[in-house]
Amino acid sequence: MNLTNTSHPGIHQEDASDHSLIPPCQNACPLHMDIREYVSLVSQGRIMEALQVIRMGNPFPSICAYVCTHPCEESCRRAQVDKPIAIRSLKRFAVEFGGDRMIRTEAETKYSDKVAIVGSGPAGLACAYYVKKIGYPVTILEAHSDLGGMLRVGIPQYRLPREVLDTEIQRLTHMGVEIRTNTRVVSLDLLFELGYKAIFITIGAHQSLRLGIEGEESPGVIDGATFLREVNLGIKPSLGRRVMVAGGGNVAIDAARTAVRLGVKHVSIFYRRTRSEMPADPQELEQALEEGVKIKYLSTPVRIDRENDRLKMTCVRMELGEPDESGRRRPVPIKGSEFTKEFDSLIVAIGQAPQTPSDFGVRIGRGSTIQVDPSTLTTNRTGVFAGGDAVTGPATVTEALAAGRLAASRIDDYLQHRYPLPVKETNEKLSGELLPKTIEMIRKIERSEPLSLVGETRVKDFETVEQVYGWEAAINEARRCLRCGVGVEILFQDKCATCLTCLRVCPYHVPRLDNTGNINIPADQCQACGICVAECPAKAIVLRKPFDRRQVSEELTHTIKLATESKNKPPIIGFCCQYGLFGTGTLSRLWRGAKAGVTIVPVLCVAKVEANHLLSAFETGAEGVFIAGCGEQCARENTTYWVKQRVEKVRKVLRSIGIEPERLQVFTLGTAVADPTEELDRFIEQISALRLSSVIKEEAIS
Amino acid sequence: MANSLFEEKLNSGEFIVTTEVGPPKSVDVSEVVHHIKLLKDKVDAINITDHQSSVMRFPSIGGCLLVKELGGEPILQMTCRDRNRLALQAELLLAYSRDIKNVLCLTGDSVDVGDHKEAKPVFDLDSVQLIKMIRTLESGTDMGGNELGAAPKFCIGATVHPEADFIEPQLIKFDKKVNAGAQFLQTQGIFELASLRRFMQYASQFNIKILAGLIVLSSAGMARYMNNNVPGIIISQAIIDEMASVEKGKGLQKGIEIATRMIKTIKEENLCHGVHIMAVGNESIVPDILEAAELVSTPG
Amino acid sequence: MIVAEQKSLEEIRRMIAPYPRVLILGCGTCMTVCNAGGESEVSFLHNSLRLAEVRSGDGIHTFTEHTVKRQCDPEFLETLSEKTIDVDVILSLGCGIGVQAIAEYLGDIPVLPGVNTSFMGMTKESGVWDERCAACGECRLEDTGGICPITRCTKGILNGPCAGSKNGKCEANKDVDCAWILIYKRLERLQQLDKMRRYYSPRNFRAIPRPRRILSKVEIATGESDG
Repeated sequence: MNLTNTSHPGIHQEDASDHSLIPPCQNACPLHMDIREYVSLVSQGRIMEALQVIRMGNPFPSICAYVCTHPCEESCRRAQVDKPIAIRSLKRFAVEFGGDRMIRTEAETKYSDKVAIVGSGPAGLACAYYVKKIGYPVTILEAHSDLGGMLRVGIPQYRLPREVLDTEIQRLTHMGVEIRTNTRVVSLDLLFELGYKAIFITIGAHQSLRLGIEGEESPGVIDGATFLREVNLGIKPSLGRRVMVAGGGNVAIDAARTAVRLGVKHVSIFYRRTRSEMPADPQELEQALEEGVKIKYLSTPVRIDRENDRLKMTCVRMELGEPDESGRRRPVPIKGSEFTKEFDSLIVAIGQAPQTPSDFGVRIGRGSTIQVDPSTLTTNRTGVFAGGDAVTGPATVTEALAAGRLAASRIDDYLQHRYPLPVKETNEKLSGELLPKTIEMIRKIERSEPLSLVGETRVKDFETVEQVYGWEAAINEARRCLRCGVGVEILFQDKCATCLTCLRVCPYHVPRLDNTGNINIPADQCQACGICVAECPAKAIVLRKPFDRRQVSEELTHTIKLATESKNKPPIIGFCCQYGLFGTGTLSRLWRGAKAGVTIVPVLCVAKVEANHLLSAFETGAEGVFIAGCGEQCARENTTYWVKQRVEKVRKVLRSIGIEPERLQVFTLGTAVADPTEELDRFIEQISALRLSSVIKEEAIS
Repeated sequence: MANSLFEEKLNSGEFIVTTEVGPPKSVDVSEVVHHIKLLKDKVDAINITDHQSSVMRFPSIGGCLLVKELGGEPILQMTCRDRNRLALQAELLLAYSRDIKNVLCLTGDSVDVGDHKEAKPVFDLDSVQLIKMIRTLESGTDMGGNELGAAPKFCIGATVHPEADFIEPQLIKFDKKVNAGAQFLQTQGIFELASLRRFMQYASQFNIKILAGLIVLSSAGMARYMNNNVPGIIISQAIIDEMASVEKGKGLQKGIEIATRMIKTIKEENLCHGVHIMAVGNESIVPDILEAAELVSTPG
Repeated sequence: MIVAEQKSLEEIRRMIAPYPRVLILGCGTCMTVCNAGGESEVSFLHNSLRLAEVRSGDGIHTFTEHTVKRQCDPEFLETLSEKTIDVDVILSLGCGIGVQAIAEYLGDIPVLPGVNTSFMGMTKESGVWDERCAACGECRLEDTGGICPITRCTKGILNGPCAGSKNGKCEANKDVDCAWILIYKRLERLQQLDKMRRYYSPRNFRAIPRPRRILSKVEIATGESDG
């Protein structure tokens, strides 16, 4: 599969006129992925290109597609309108339908300096991927028998199928990354002696924290990390019928849900704060509840007594006091609220810490983490870098991948004796909330979730819970994206006549007159519908990322070429909205119609088709021109109105120069019932008839 | 001393009856002549309309000359639509020199409603200014302040619209016309005597003669058409219904009946000082109305 | 703002017929605001003319386009000299003032009016402009509650409404408000109805003699200023 040779403009090439702002989703992503771009591509059904964008920002998108905690969705501004875009699910869709796992990555060794990576969790794998891509020989050293770190021993299979992980590791092998498993590194000096010039320590945080209560050593008490590791490595610990899980993080939820899948009938999570303080992913929590896990808030065990092979747990009820340094309210035991409950097992999942061998000689800081310079990831030892959970304490997979990527570039700087320049943000960040008057005008569209296995089915085994979107659902979901930061700007202030057209035509009340008498189009409010761009009488406004406009003209140029080459059929040019049409199959049907001489100019919303584009289409010699928009289904406002305005304007010109105005038509696609191809067929017939009559007329004249 | 026969009649306190004749779009004036002959002895004065509804016709002054020739008493309708202040003054000099001494001052309909829509609308003066201008001429100077060799003297009328749907600004204008020197006010065609009564309550404070304008309808269709197309005409639904109640061909009869009824009431109740009958193309039936309303005219 | 309407394509084509090389010249001020001759309209007209040429099959014309900030000031026209080197005619989408400014500035090249300059007015909503001022040179808005009877009354009369006013609309056009009803209502609101009761004498049509000129500077005799 060849993805490098794409015709998609705007990607890869440095575009000097890209004034777009970094949207909040991208800003929230530890990997800084171009989410807006790939969501937009999904909405157009351009899955391969979407995948390409994803792959540019993420070494292992398939993994993220399953396990990312999607901070992007938390910051998504669509949440101010209704609900955030289901970004992770869309990525999963692009990854699955784009065939991510089939893509092989090639890497060439350009340098001789060897790099050692200690640990093979997400940070280690990512670092290996990038260091290898840059061109260094890399060796991953892993203590366990298999690579993956927490991805393999921490995350349950129902959240991340092992095939996905294995494919990624194969990719690394294919790239030429040397892998040494069952190799526990005890001394870094030895590695340097072996000739490694740089070392990246990414040993994770596998050491579970203890409750520190009486009886914690009793049989039947197991820590969360160990429990998950055992299950993931194929051991099935016997837990009995009643299991308590202590803790409120993702590991606690993972442990509880894993216990359910092992056949435990009663699983209860005890958490000392309330649901709102719980660090676990709300969606995971929701799914745990669906699977029958019980949660007891404001409760914690204080003593364990083992009696008759069972654990008699003495617990205490808590109340929330003053906030602690993490900002969460500190739980305070309520005097005399002790109660006892019997369980067969207790899984302690209250947190984990790294366990760094003292022989590494790296400085250890708070919570046993390795101390590094956060911008260079360098430790106190020259040539030794560290990242991932070992540095941050337990964090997300995506953060670890980002650390791995950063480490790779810093190791490169180090080996090339370059000053480690901070990564410069080329574009400004988008900031600011949507204003109520803007929100009011944005069409509310329900968020569609991909299907999940139902609770009863999924608890039977470790099958992946979340399923992938179908095409239509994915495309419709992607269309909800507000495309924050790619809106318009008045690029040519000198041309602006302050006519206020933009202010008047904007469906979202975005442009405003500032107190100096100039028009200001706030980037944080603009919905990028493009109406003002087309209507500006001074041509002073452009989209911050001029992808759409260029596309219309480029496609037209291409069409002119085609039209001059083929002279058989009456050429008909149709400007068709790209959003969503693949999903409903409409556009593909129109493409089939292309046999009859129809050329489609794909546009990102027909509101961006200017009257001039229509004239140009006729100038190519087209016998008929049409605009096919989504009508009522359009996610933007007023598009049909403006299309009709422009069509009427052009028809007036056509009429005056002797071209039948009915040669220009508007079709509203996307209605569930009507088949637009019928309309199109009629149009083609009509154009043929017009052509015939004009031929007859000409003959009559001559 | 009265300046014209009509003015004399106005001052006499008797019930006044006037009517109007519209000149043709033609050089053949025989029908107008016929109408003038028919009416001249039955009414106190005959208005000659001035390109009514902005439709180009034989001029008002020409019609007035005919009335004069035939021994009747003319009222020269004069609008500001087509003549600037030079032309208006000149025409008044002509009128006076031919013993046409009654002038009805009108702003004039918009050119847009007529048959020469592309013409330049003049409106150099409005009706109030026209009245003032005539009074200025009478004082011996023209509008430019130049002395006249000999000054004219006119009996001046104007119009008022008691049935306007927004009466207050119309009343302000009425005041201005009176103050400018109008001696009699002819109303736009009225169809509800209630509005006339209300108006007269207001108008009676002024020393001015009010003639109630009465349009003789010929069919319900005509009524509706006038409602929609003729400036200043508001015909109530009750009247339209009454017109529609008769069988086809009997419309004019009904119109005559309504007009007669209204005239009788006005006269009996002494609502105002007289009536102005507008037969709009059916001038020949005016004598029938007069007879039916038992109005005996005493011209001369 | 000056408001104009682009001439019909037929008329423009007739005007440019004798001139093969046409420069379509837009104006970046009023004509942009009223959508008659800004850069966008220039380019649309350009495309329309080109399409017409293609369709007619006997096109001899070539077109170029350019837009200046304001056609009515010669300083803005300085860029024109290079744009007009290979040009037979300028089709100006400026208002009547712009066209004349160009004619004054460029003696040798004909200039054609591409728009009909219509009135001075304001934008009512996007794509709708209303006349508001007739430039009579004798502003009486003080007496009429800020509503101009000369512009907004079809007859331009000064002493109140004519009898043709119905439902608050004008007898000439049922979609247009009767200016005098507006004036009455506004004066009533301002408690200034006495202003409407006043008699207003006929207009002075020579408030400024034509062609009108305004001098806001003082003529100073040579030598006087230097002392």
